[in-house]
Amino acid sequence: MGHRDIPILETRRLVLRAPEPQDYPDFKATFASYRSRFMGGPLNAYEAWMLYAAEIGHWEIRGFGMWMVHLRDTDETVGMAGGWYPAKWPEREIAWIIWPDRGGQGFALEATHRVRTHLYASGWDTAVSYIDPKNLDSIRLAERLGCTKDANAPTIDGSDAVYRHPAPPALQGTQLAHGIDMEIAHYTDPLFKPKGWAID
Amino acid sequence: MTPHLSIPVLETQRLRLRTPMAADFDAYAAFRASDRAATLGGPYPRHIAFSQLCATIGHWQMRGYGRWLVADKETDAALGIVGLYHPEDWPEPELAWSVFGPAEGKGIAYEAALAARAYAYDTLGWSTLMSVIATDNTRSIALARKLGAAYEKDFDHAELGALQIWRHPAKAEAV
Repeated sequence: MGHRDIPILETRRLVLRAPEPQDYPDFKATFASYRSRFMGGPLNAYEAWMLYAAEIGHWEIRGFGMWMVHLRDTDETVGMAGGWYPAKWPEREIAWIIWPDRGGQGFALEATHRVRTHLYASGWDTAVSYIDPKNLDSIRLAERLGCTKDANAPTIDGSDAVYRHPAPPALQGTQLAHGIDMEIAHYTDPLFKPKGWAID
Repeated sequence: MTPHLSIPVLETQRLRLRTPMAADFDAYAAFRASDRAATLGGPYPRHIAFSQLCATIGHWQMRGYGRWLVADKETDAALGIVGLYHPEDWPEPELAWSVFGPAEGKGIAYEAALAARAYAYDTLGWSTLMSVIATDNTRSIALARKLGAAYEKDFDHAELGALQIWRHPAKAEAV
């Protein structure tokens, strides 16, 4: 009883695994920081611990949840991505957070794209992301993932915008899918590799 | 695949202590929204209760022990949450109990707490155990006394306010 296996997802640079107790300090640091301001933070130690324990328990209650995103090379954590559906959410969300010192390297795109592929393969036919309208980095990422703002969908509490992910067929062999693959490929192996200092 | 939680099941005369499940959420949320949760930092809205129920499960992963959902052995109805609780800023693990409104007054918390305490002493090999109780929670203090615990000291918590630590009898003296 109470046993559920959490799949390991892999990408070129990343390994996504179940959140483990030893990963908690990285989570706590991010949720104690300004980085978490669009995700209900910053949190004190009590709140951060409870949220982390809740992220683990969400897997048991819902059958899906947030993965811890590790670098394949060093096993260091860089953030979390996955499915998220707490009681107040109108529908199932694809969510992500990248630690503040790990931003700008395409990790959220690579991890979230992998997660979405997995969730769609496991039967999801739609998904949203609830994003604070001031969270421009996340809105930009949602758009790179092909999401569009869904003005008709119910919000969590009126202070968030709903971004609707493209349906599974829109990600199969389409220009959108190729664009996402190209961008991830560019992060993992840049086409432009200057030798020495860039001229400009 | 990552091996995940494995939460032991304990049985008493009337009760089964097992993993909390999605099916228990309505009973749990009703309790957390009730006046009875006032001495536990509540009452809490339903969406907070959801997170708390998830955290009850995640606690097992974080600590290797935790709190069980106390179910009626016959019907599997959810009656309460009892077990070993140690969030980040607790001084040490505690034996914690909550019984949902409809199940009050039947000695359920006592029966489940005895089983959880025996698990801490016999299975986990702990040598001491305390309970954190809000200063004004007279019903819980009465149960602590019935379990043989004694007031030890005050514990002021940033979120939950004025609490007390009650020390349980060591294994040899426990029921």
